[in-house]
Amino acid sequence: MSRRTVNVIIVLYLIVVWAAVIFRIDRFPLTWVPMYSVYEPSETISAKVWDNNKYGKGILVTHRDGTTSYVSSKDLNIPKPNFRRLYYSRIFGSAPPKHKQGNTELGTMNRWVRGLDEDEPNFSVDWEWRMFWTLNKTLRHEPSDQKFIVQMEADYQRRIYRKADLLKGNISKVEIQTRKALMEWNDKWLPRWEHEQL
Amino acid sequence: MSSCKWLSRAWNQFFFTGFSGESLGLLRMYIGCGLLFFHTWQFATVLSLNPFGSMYYFLEPIWYFKVLGIQYHIPILSFITYVVLMAATVTMILGKWTRASILVVILCIFYLKGVRDSFSGDVHHRYIIPMQILFLFLLSKCGEVHSRDASQHQFASVQEWEASWPIKTMQLYIALFYFWSVIAKVRVSGWVWFAGEGRIQEVLIKRSVRWGVTGEGELVKNSLSFELAQHPELIQIFSHMVLVFELGFPLILFIKSVKLRAFFLAGVITFHISTFVLMDVNFLLIPFVYLIFFDLVPIHQWLKTRAWPSFRRRPSIAG
Repeated sequence: MSRRTVNVIIVLYLIVVWAAVIFRIDRFPLTWVPMYSVYEPSETISAKVWDNNKYGKGILVTHRDGTTSYVSSKDLNIPKPNFRRLYYSRIFGSAPPKHKQGNTELGTMNRWVRGLDEDEPNFSVDWEWRMFWTLNKTLRHEPSDQKFIVQMEADYQRRIYRKADLLKGNISKVEIQTRKALMEWNDKWLPRWEHEQL
Repeated sequence: MSSCKWLSRAWNQFFFTGFSGESLGLLRMYIGCGLLFFHTWQFATVLSLNPFGSMYYFLEPIWYFKVLGIQYHIPILSFITYVVLMAATVTMILGKWTRASILVVILCIFYLKGVRDSFSGDVHHRYIIPMQILFLFLLSKCGEVHSRDASQHQFASVQEWEASWPIKTMQLYIALFYFWSVIAKVRVSGWVWFAGEGRIQEVLIKRSVRWGVTGEGELVKNSLSFELAQHPELIQIFSHMVLVFELGFPLILFIKSVKLRAFFLAGVITFHISTFVLMDVNFLLIPFVYLIFFDLVPIHQWLKTRAWPSFRRRPSIAG
């Protein structure tokens, strides 16, 4: 490789990595947002509490024949940290942090480049459909099967602290809430299922 | 005209000077050794699965899995890929079929990272810097020095400019990576991110509480994070330090003193250890890439002539 070619490579490389930053491209191996960036000021801080016994048992599911069972990380054969994200976030319709980062303050130019309307998100995933797709497909249940999963349930506890109380060192003043998620299969998804359209 | 000349001189001075072929070859070896640990640390969760268990359908496949139509996980394939990845990393370290080995390492990382990040749709950024380094190694002549390939083939000696540009480009990328971090925070959240009652406090609380609370109201884990979260004035100091080091990271490119550079990077390593301990931010092993900021020739020489012989001279347990 000549020195001239190397110069061209370096210039192209720098153009690509900077273009990713300017146009907010977050697709491996390019990124514009290396660390945690989204912060929305609020009076309170809400923190989830993981319950080993609960998520260890798994997601409570109801089958088409009316019976219930639990689907755990072992049944799905996925790592525990990933299953935790299914249990505590996806089933509640919460997207990964990278989606939030990609949707926040996108700016006029980046909306225009992607052809997005003013309120249209950059990332939007129908988590409800995806959860039914993933669990049923992995467990090899077809929509006509009696064991096809038609309902999923999960719950967790969260602790809500007021920043003003934290500042006073008053940590006993905490509001404890229980969040429950209930997802139900919708037959309108059948065409998507048949065509394997994620 | 003169500014053009100055720019060209500065460009050449930066990208094409400073490192020898030997430095480049050694860097390939040492970064490769770091990668052996890094791969295992990163993909340990995938290796904890049952190789003959269920084939999981990805909840949100990573972008290139979508393009390639990869919808589900074949567990045994991940184990095979991991073995191939480790073997290719070893041949990369040895400099045997160097370019092909680096290419295999890159492809295996793409696959295993794709699998790990597609399970639940959370895409992690820990491989971005190593991937840039591998890409630049792939384009460089790193396999022509300190390698099996070099002992079998007659290569022309690697010139200073040929050895320097990949290393300097790696350095520039890492400096920009931290610098972009500030840009992203300000772009998305504004300067309030750095406030004492800002993002850091929020993460400290979330990460400490999530492990649960005992019947007496004590935290099961990370009580230090919770304690720190109650002192926004302290967090403010830390967040300003983060701001200064991230914004100032590109300055490392102009620091000539090795000691000063090592001091700066020691600070960055402390930052990554702290964020791991206090906030569970898993960039703990990433500092191995900071080797690119040093000329490894004297370090390797010292290890070879002083450290290794004295280590070997130590009396064995059997002796």
